[in-house]
Amino acid sequence: MNFAFNEEQRSLGETVGQLLSDFPALTAPDLSREQDDDAWNALAELGLFSLLVPEENDGVGLSLVDVALSVEALGAGLASPLVASTLIATELVKRFGTDAQKDALFGPLATGELKVAIAYTERGKGTDPEKLACAISGGCLSGTKIAVAGADAADRLLVVARNNDQASLAFVETGAAGVTVRQQDDLDPSAALCEVAFDGVEIAADALLGGGASDAPVNALLDLAATVYSGLTIGIANRMLETTVEYAKTREQFGKAIGSFQSIKHRCADMAVLVEAGRATSYFAFWNCAEDSAERAQTASAAKAYCADIARDACNEAIQIHGGMGFTWEMALHRYLRRAKVLESAFGNPAWHYRRVHAEAVAGREADATACRDAA
Amino acid sequence: MDFNYTPEENAFRMDLRKWLADALPKGWGETVFEPEEEEARYLFRRDWDRKLASGGWTGINWPVEYGGRGATLVERAIFAEEMARARAPESLNIIGQNLAGPTILHFGTEAQKKRFLPKIISSEEIWAQGFSEPNAGSDLASVRTRAERKGDKFIVNGQKIWTSFAQYSQWCFALVRTDPDAPKHKGISFLLIDMNSPGVSIRPLRQISGESEFNETFFDDVEVPAENLVGDLNDGWRIAMTTLAYERGPEDCLARQIRFKRELDSLIDVAGAMPMDDGVVSDDPGVQEDLGRAIVEIDAMRLVALRSFSRFLNGEERGPDASIIKLYWSHAAQRMNEKAIDILGAPGLLTGEDPEAVARGSFGMSYLQSKAFTIYSGSSEIQRNIIGERLLGLPR
Repeated sequence: MNFAFNEEQRSLGETVGQLLSDFPALTAPDLSREQDDDAWNALAELGLFSLLVPEENDGVGLSLVDVALSVEALGAGLASPLVASTLIATELVKRFGTDAQKDALFGPLATGELKVAIAYTERGKGTDPEKLACAISGGCLSGTKIAVAGADAADRLLVVARNNDQASLAFVETGAAGVTVRQQDDLDPSAALCEVAFDGVEIAADALLGGGASDAPVNALLDLAATVYSGLTIGIANRMLETTVEYAKTREQFGKAIGSFQSIKHRCADMAVLVEAGRATSYFAFWNCAEDSAERAQTASAAKAYCADIARDACNEAIQIHGGMGFTWEMALHRYLRRAKVLESAFGNPAWHYRRVHAEAVAGREADATACRDAA
Repeated sequence: MDFNYTPEENAFRMDLRKWLADALPKGWGETVFEPEEEEARYLFRRDWDRKLASGGWTGINWPVEYGGRGATLVERAIFAEEMARARAPESLNIIGQNLAGPTILHFGTEAQKKRFLPKIISSEEIWAQGFSEPNAGSDLASVRTRAERKGDKFIVNGQKIWTSFAQYSQWCFALVRTDPDAPKHKGISFLLIDMNSPGVSIRPLRQISGESEFNETFFDDVEVPAENLVGDLNDGWRIAMTTLAYERGPEDCLARQIRFKRELDSLIDVAGAMPMDDGVVSDDPGVQEDLGRAIVEIDAMRLVALRSFSRFLNGEERGPDASIIKLYWSHAAQRMNEKAIDILGAPGLLTGEDPEAVARGSFGMSYLQSKAFTIYSGSSEIQRNIIGERLLGLPR
């Protein structure tokens, strides 16, 4: 048992963090996407998109755990959510793709030529994939998705849709006939949440991930996305902790640094404790997801819900401790607050994921009890 | 990062699992529980400590030469998991095993190690902690209990407070003032005191739970052999910091997490069985959400402790990060204990005396007991100062 990252994993995370800091627009006060493409290209040049591609497909063959700290850096640096969704799609192709899908997709995924947005949420629907309305019927996809981060800049959409009464994942080109993408006006325009309407879009049989034989890809998507998003949000939380501590050391009132006052110091300490607890929860989810363990679903939901809660609290505390400055546009703390909120609501809000943790724990306890009875 | 275990570690786990299955009373945790009455409960725990020792399952990561089995930190973590799985009883000698033992291992003389460690492991000797005083709580360095050197003895006079389990203890480690003229951190020594010495008296204090786990302990011209000094004269503060790092550290957290997980599992079971309207209490989505969050937090306690283990295994020293662990578990446990009462509603308020009490009234008792978590081992306010100043580098 070892709960630490190795030198390569840490160094990779630091490199991604440093690289993103070369693109100040990502975290600047104005909600701009003007450096998104440059940042994407730099990440691609670094090789980020080839990391999860298997070696036999000319990738680096790393696991989710290897990139956990890089994902955290993507969160802290407010990289476009398209980066994360493309990594999630790559991992899904690795796990479920047919040979033909792997041959077709891994090349352009690895080089960063292919940007993939994930279309999950629907208006009037919750997170349960079984209840979504988008459906493929007679080989054609119809329905409307909302809050699809980066769909307007994506080449491909990975769409959760019902097919033959089963939740499936379909790859759809954003330029395909019948696809309409509209950027929504939302709290964080830099995340580029889009409404995507599908009007009888033709879905070839080979567009269904893994051939559409089971709902395993959709369940994996949910856990993968929850895990990766926990990394993004805890990255934001830690950035807020660092920024706030730095401010508390330098900002003076009553002739002293405000960090010397216990009312401030103690709140910083509480943030530090939560960031540590969130990281432990998130990293454990990364490991369980990488190993495809029996605890994958429970740990993924735990991490998604808890890290979102922690990021929200950290953003709130950061603004409060920065005082009037925290509420100014130019301090740019609002960028993290906005992004944290967008990430919190994606792929299931904390309430849904906490309920899922409970359901998984109850199921686990029942299975345990059965195993004990069988043994006896 | 890897949570897989080696064949040796798995063998360790299976050995322990088998031993626990044989050692625990039949129906343990389902139909058989700890005695309700306080003294009987503590004596039950002492006997359990001794049973564990007879199987070689106490002080497991201490060196073999002092009665341990030289277990690794990973095995220590497995031990905690298996104890939780078996819903094993708590220990009475936690102060001996978690504080006195590690401190003596770090700073004790060879003679002290040989004299004290095996009897901690066997729980022949139970320990108490003599740190706090009526006027030295959070300001611990203000201790005034005096120890004056007279020949080959120290003469100790003063009073300690909040001495848990003093009434069951044979030994106490204490912070005593040996140089009243030195700056307050520089005139303190760390002394091992036989609780059976003439001049030691204790008076139980009644807690908000109605129990009397802790006491006032008085020292009136108590003679302590000079050989019971741990470390150098007037170097007690530095030694106490190590003791506190263990008291707040990952081993302590893992041991406590066992209890909290047991309580939470019980709460989940009760909420899943207690009738409410046309179903059960945990049909309510709000209850499911609350339980889910509690599960996450109780699991996070363990994960935070394991992260700390990994840092030690990678060569880092024990230090102020123990305060993160202590601050986290104490508040998370309080939230869970409070949530239990909220979720169960009126039936959750019934105590063990009432025939309708849920789970023998354990949730109400735990709720009251939990109020101590954020005060002992250094109050949350002290932990936040340590984290703020020593980990985050904020000014004093």
